[in-house]
Amino acid sequence: MSIERMEFVNIAGLTKDLDAVLVRLSECGCFHIESASKIAGKDKGFSSFKEENPYTAVLKKLGEIAAQTGVKPESTDFSDIESKSASALEKYVDDVRARLKKLIEKKKAAEDKLNAYEQALNQVNHLKGLDADFQQIFSCEYIKVRFGRLPVDSYNKLPYYNDKTFYFTYFTEETEYYWGVYFTPASCAEEIDDIFQSLYFERMHIADFVHGTSEDAVEELKAMIDENRTETDACKKDIAELMEKEKTQLDKIFTMYKSRHDNFDLRNKAAITGDKFLIVGFVPKGDSEGFMKLFDDMDGVSVLMQPADANGKLQPPIKLKNNKFTKPFSMFVEMYGLPSYNGINPTTFVAITYTLLFGIMFGDVGQGLVLAILGALLWKFKKFSLGPILTRVGISGAVFGLIYGSVFGFEELLDPVYEALGITFLPFKIMENVTTILIGAIVLGVFIMFISILINIIIGIKNKQLESALFGNNGVAGLIFFGSILVGAVATLFGAHIVNAAYIIIFVILPLAAMFMREPLSCWVKGKKYHMEGGVGDFIASNFFEVFEFLLGYATNTLSFVRIGGFVLSHASMMLVVMALADYVSAGAVPVVVIIGNIFVMGIEGLLVGIQTLRLEFYEIFSRFYSGDGIPFTPVKINYDETIE
Amino acid sequence: MNILNRSHNATVAKIRAMYGKRITSQDYGELINKQSVSEIADYLKKNTHYSNILSSVDVNSVHRGFLESLLARHYFEVYLKITGFERINRQEFYNFRIIKAEIEVILSCIRHINANSEDQITDIPIYINGMTCFDLIEIAKVRSFEELLDFLKKTPYYDVIRKERTDENGKVDFSACEYKLRSYYFERIEKNVAGYSKKEAEMLNSMLLTDIDLINVINAYRMTSFFGADEKEIKPMMFRFSGRLSEAKQEEIYSAPDKAEFIRRFSKTYYGRQIADSGLDMNDLEDNANRLRYKYAKLALKSSSKASVSVYAFTYLMGVELSNLIRIIEGVRYGMPSKQIEKLIIV
Repeated sequence: MSIERMEFVNIAGLTKDLDAVLVRLSECGCFHIESASKIAGKDKGFSSFKEENPYTAVLKKLGEIAAQTGVKPESTDFSDIESKSASALEKYVDDVRARLKKLIEKKKAAEDKLNAYEQALNQVNHLKGLDADFQQIFSCEYIKVRFGRLPVDSYNKLPYYNDKTFYFTYFTEETEYYWGVYFTPASCAEEIDDIFQSLYFERMHIADFVHGTSEDAVEELKAMIDENRTETDACKKDIAELMEKEKTQLDKIFTMYKSRHDNFDLRNKAAITGDKFLIVGFVPKGDSEGFMKLFDDMDGVSVLMQPADANGKLQPPIKLKNNKFTKPFSMFVEMYGLPSYNGINPTTFVAITYTLLFGIMFGDVGQGLVLAILGALLWKFKKFSLGPILTRVGISGAVFGLIYGSVFGFEELLDPVYEALGITFLPFKIMENVTTILIGAIVLGVFIMFISILINIIIGIKNKQLESALFGNNGVAGLIFFGSILVGAVATLFGAHIVNAAYIIIFVILPLAAMFMREPLSCWVKGKKYHMEGGVGDFIASNFFEVFEFLLGYATNTLSFVRIGGFVLSHASMMLVVMALADYVSAGAVPVVVIIGNIFVMGIEGLLVGIQTLRLEFYEIFSRFYSGDGIPFTPVKINYDETIE
Repeated sequence: MNILNRSHNATVAKIRAMYGKRITSQDYGELINKQSVSEIADYLKKNTHYSNILSSVDVNSVHRGFLESLLARHYFEVYLKITGFERINRQEFYNFRIIKAEIEVILSCIRHINANSEDQITDIPIYINGMTCFDLIEIAKVRSFEELLDFLKKTPYYDVIRKERTDENGKVDFSACEYKLRSYYFERIEKNVAGYSKKEAEMLNSMLLTDIDLINVINAYRMTSFFGADEKEIKPMMFRFSGRLSEAKQEEIYSAPDKAEFIRRFSKTYYGRQIADSGLDMNDLEDNANRLRYKYAKLALKSSSKASVSVYAFTYLMGVELSNLIRIIEGVRYGMPSKQIEKLIIV
């Protein structure tokens, strides 16, 4: 799979046709617009539009209505209102706003009242136990009464003021406060208020509408709250009814204004000279023919198609071309960054390696199929983008489960099937082949690393980046060095004596020297003169450490793939624990333990394996050949979101 | 096994976990730039380990003094929590923070007596009443030094300050009382430390003596620079313990004729070199000596597996955190520029 080839498009015409052209561009769904001023600036006699968008004000009003009511506008057909005058439509919007404003004010008044009652109820609740009428208490002439809350620490200091004339009592207590009241003669009120202020007493002002004892007040307030809640609900209902009645018309106005607004904004991308405009952008090659026909009926408009790289100032956007199997995995590629236009689309490679590695680590027929079904359901009902990936890796897990002979952790379940079929090499029992699995993981890792290096070499040669392609650690020199070390090690292990002085000089020392000298060598190959910056000492020191880092990288990256084997073993071991637990419980509880154990292992292992595989993809594979500096292909279209900047 | 020598790894682990929740430099940065006490309270309530104690506080109307008192109580609760975790508080050593609090209350009382002030109760940490060897409500009612001595008669503090006398205005020598009470505090800790194993006692002593060295230097520096005191005046006010500062070295520093010479002589000591190595300004001696104390406590907390060392160091670090927060609260409350507040923060 590859990267969609692009055509660089120049559209020129008379400014009177500009709006019509922009409407067609936003409707075609295949035009990636660029700012024309990047290639046609002031120096060439071009200018750009700097007009205020006339549709913003109405859209802001519609956005306000949406925010106030929580009813989001939706795009709809607006052909029947196109003939209506702008002032009539705007008057209609203002009229709806005015009606809505009245209802909202009424609702707010009801809500404010409700809040006040609820706050009072909260306060009075803290004073439960006060068996006296609030109004009577407040009407005392010679005694001052203060309700409120006193911090616990301050309450504990009250004995210090035993000689002062006041009485504090509390009704309820919280972690940090005592809710209560203090009484003091009016003549001492000033002094006592000062004392309580220094004790951080927080006074509470009981509202006028609170009557009777605390118990009476609570009952009365509750009734008032209920009554007010009904009023608030009625206001909400009126608002909902208004919106239901007007929604269709509001949606039409919103859609019409939003499309005109966004198209008007696109004018800023055009370059203007005299009465002519220029628009530039990119169209996928496959759509170019249809795109040309878009303007056949517009005489004053001309469209010129050029190769994507015709203008060096504009970088062609990236649209990945993927098939049905690999498409979901493009999410991972986009997460890392898109490839450059002349790079390669790694989605297929990711799809294959991710599915394979996940399957190997998650191998279980039952769990794999459950994961696959779960993924399919998540996609169907929730459009969860990981769903299709789960389906693919789940099936892969099930296939490897067949190889391991594991079904929901039952490792012997498939044995009779293989026996009946006469297949002797299966199942491949994990716990009996630990060493093979670990070595296999490394071999697989080495294979993947080799392919990654080869991809880097191909990209490097294609893009004439010889330093990376020939002399880099992920280039020819690195491949020879890494390969020869591995071949030498394996050969020595099997008793073949191929490692000798010549082998070491040609396959080990020479590639290392090439990596060390990669900058001067690439200059030499390109026929350029190499300028050593910072002197010989600096050159030797920096290259020595870089090459040392490369060597470390080969070792650590290879060993990193051991995790594949590790997770194969951990999956099997976790299921072994589940089965062991099932052995300890009564027969009736066995299905419960097995089911919960399977769910637990699927959850934990699925998550871990998913993350670890992604880590291998990004760190061990992508880092070798992938730069991720491409610009995404984003065709212009109307954004039907009610938020207006 | 001697109860003092039992390992309390759980306490050490708990302290380290609690230390992980400390106020970070980033938090201080956020707090310094707040515009009001309410905003500080709100930040502490939502983002820090003070959230529990501030849970029922109305941050919009919280009083500065009340906020500070709650933070101080939290600090004490943390101390009680760690010493009560494995009941190590049954060992005398771990009462060091209570003893220190008692001394602070007595000193506060003397300060109020000298100032003829009667609102000592506002400064009383009432939450420790019952843990102290005297009643905190009753001491707040004391109005003269004689009354104070009478009140303290049944406590160990009586003998410590009983020889002090009031002048014709009824005032007592605060510095002398402070020196005697703090000396008593260090003596008591030294006595309690002696019960531990040799290695643990060495670690505790080293931490303690380093702390005393720096306290002595800070006090001597203040006396030299603010009051122009000479060696004869300084020496009696210095705690008699010393760590890395030998007697000769101390004498050399204390005999400095002025502030500049004091700094020059101090810069040649072990601590002076440490301050210089940390890239701190020697001229800002007082703050930077405190920063050095903070650094040593952090090091002790990180490197020691002994509960006694961890508790002592952690309590100190938490104390610094409390002081930092109070400085920020007061700085913001009184409109101090954030750059200036930042300079006062020890991290």
